[in-house]
Amino acid sequence: MDLTFLIYLSSGLFLGWSLGASEASNFGTAVATKMIKFRTAAIISSVCVILGAVIEGSGATKTLDSLGDITSLAGAFMIALSAAMTTAWMVKLSIPVSTSQAIVGAIIGWNFFAGRNTDLTILSEIISAWFLGPIFGGIFAILLYALLKITFTHWKLHILRKDSLTRIALIFAGAFGMYALGANNIANVMGVFVKSSPLDQLKLPLGIILNHEQVLFLLGGIAISVGICTYSHKVIETIGNTIMKLSPLMAWVVVMAHGIVLFIFSSTELRDLLISWHLPALPLVPVSATQAIIGSVIGLGLAKGGRDLNWNVIGKIVISFVLTPITSALVCYISLFFLQNVFQQVVY
Amino acid sequence: MFHIHLSLFSKTKALESDIDRFHDKLIDASMVFTQAVKIYLKEGRSTDFKKHSKQIKLIEHNADELRRNIENNLYGYNLIPDLRADVLELVENFDKVINKIDEVTYMFYAECPQIPDEYRAYFNELVGLSADAAENMCKASRSFFRDLSAVRDYSQKVYSIEHESDICSRKMLENIFASDRPLAEKLQLRQFIDGIAEIADQAEDFIDQLLIFTIKRDI
Repeated sequence: MDLTFLIYLSSGLFLGWSLGASEASNFGTAVATKMIKFRTAAIISSVCVILGAVIEGSGATKTLDSLGDITSLAGAFMIALSAAMTTAWMVKLSIPVSTSQAIVGAIIGWNFFAGRNTDLTILSEIISAWFLGPIFGGIFAILLYALLKITFTHWKLHILRKDSLTRIALIFAGAFGMYALGANNIANVMGVFVKSSPLDQLKLPLGIILNHEQVLFLLGGIAISVGICTYSHKVIETIGNTIMKLSPLMAWVVVMAHGIVLFIFSSTELRDLLISWHLPALPLVPVSATQAIIGSVIGLGLAKGGRDLNWNVIGKIVISFVLTPITSALVCYISLFFLQNVFQQVVY
Repeated sequence: MFHIHLSLFSKTKALESDIDRFHDKLIDASMVFTQAVKIYLKEGRSTDFKKHSKQIKLIEHNADELRRNIENNLYGYNLIPDLRADVLELVENFDKVINKIDEVTYMFYAECPQIPDEYRAYFNELVGLSADAAENMCKASRSFFRDLSAVRDYSQKVYSIEHESDICSRKMLENIFASDRPLAEKLQLRQFIDGIAEIADQAEDFIDQLLIFTIKRDI
């Protein structure tokens, strides 16, 4: 692995770090209620996110690849950096930003700069997935809530046993959520580098061989893990104590619902299975974990009898759908101009 | 995983059993209390009454031991902290009702009040209502641990019984203070009426708290 590649890859790694720091809130309730220590949550999260990225990461990455044929390392660097800068800015504006929307915007910016056409069919697939993410989050939350309600109405479990089960279930849901996050969001972090990566395959003990794409995902997964271990503590506590101040069982519903959303938008096997059953398959697209969580919380609220939708939050999500890709595309276009004309780099 | 699952549940089982036995103590105490007062009203501080009084003391002592056990185990056992705090508070307040029963029985033992004949039936009624409130409180509390949906039914019973006990105790007080008895006697009788009615009041307070904890856990 040469130094130039590492320098170019740094923007993707930074994006991975910020993803780990900001979106790894699956263990929020478990940590905030002191059910598990932050360190344990961070270790489980890190392992699961890396596994998800390496095992299931290629599905959503292929879709992003089809949106922009990025073969230049410098171009990939600037796309990831623009997405990271936009994400940071949106976070500052308290808009529930999605790294996916930022990276797609940046790729479109690159397409404009390179004079390439953007595949509108793929783009419409991606945009529909952004809308479907929170909606599915809400639907799955309602279904899971109904399932819990039926289960505990018929199964008179002692409250202490229920507590034990809840703790185990929350840890599993958190781990599943992190696996799905790795599978779905690694495309945002490393997707643009796949075609320009000079990495070779990697042989691991026990005869495990990672192809060059998986090696890249492994690096991205490690970057997300570093983000989780170094910076997610505060976010986890904030999420656990404020935004998601839910009972442990309701937190389980939300974490599972958002995990399922991320999973169905990233699993190649599930898509193949649906196709083999002649059912409509969902596009494999990176979607926002935060927006899926918000959708799940709203769905849960509706299932519990809430009648008022929080239009303010929904409005912010829609603003994010529009504002994030446009900003990211503009930032990328301008940055590419400087990178090409000031630093004399080949960006496409 | 299977091992973790088993060990988690085996720890819970011991705690569950302690909580169940703790609840049994209130049922025992309220039954013996009703009997003890009945005997007192009939025979005064007889040997039989003393036996019942001792029995209540023993129940209260055992309940205290169980409460301490439950509290220690709750800290040792890694429960969701919010649930642990609620269970601790419930156990503490549950124990107060048992303590009150013991306290009132001891008042009868120590003060040997002269209960006029015309009030004996009232005393029996009031004791019955208070014991009933305590028993229904116990059922509500058991339901909190096993079947949240039943908590409300028992709670409603406690509220209604407590209301009846209030009416009964007021009627008694009005009659006593309208009589020509010496003031000291009236005041002593009032103390006993208040003490017995306090059992139902404490059951009601417990239920208020229990309902909040139930709402917190209702899916």
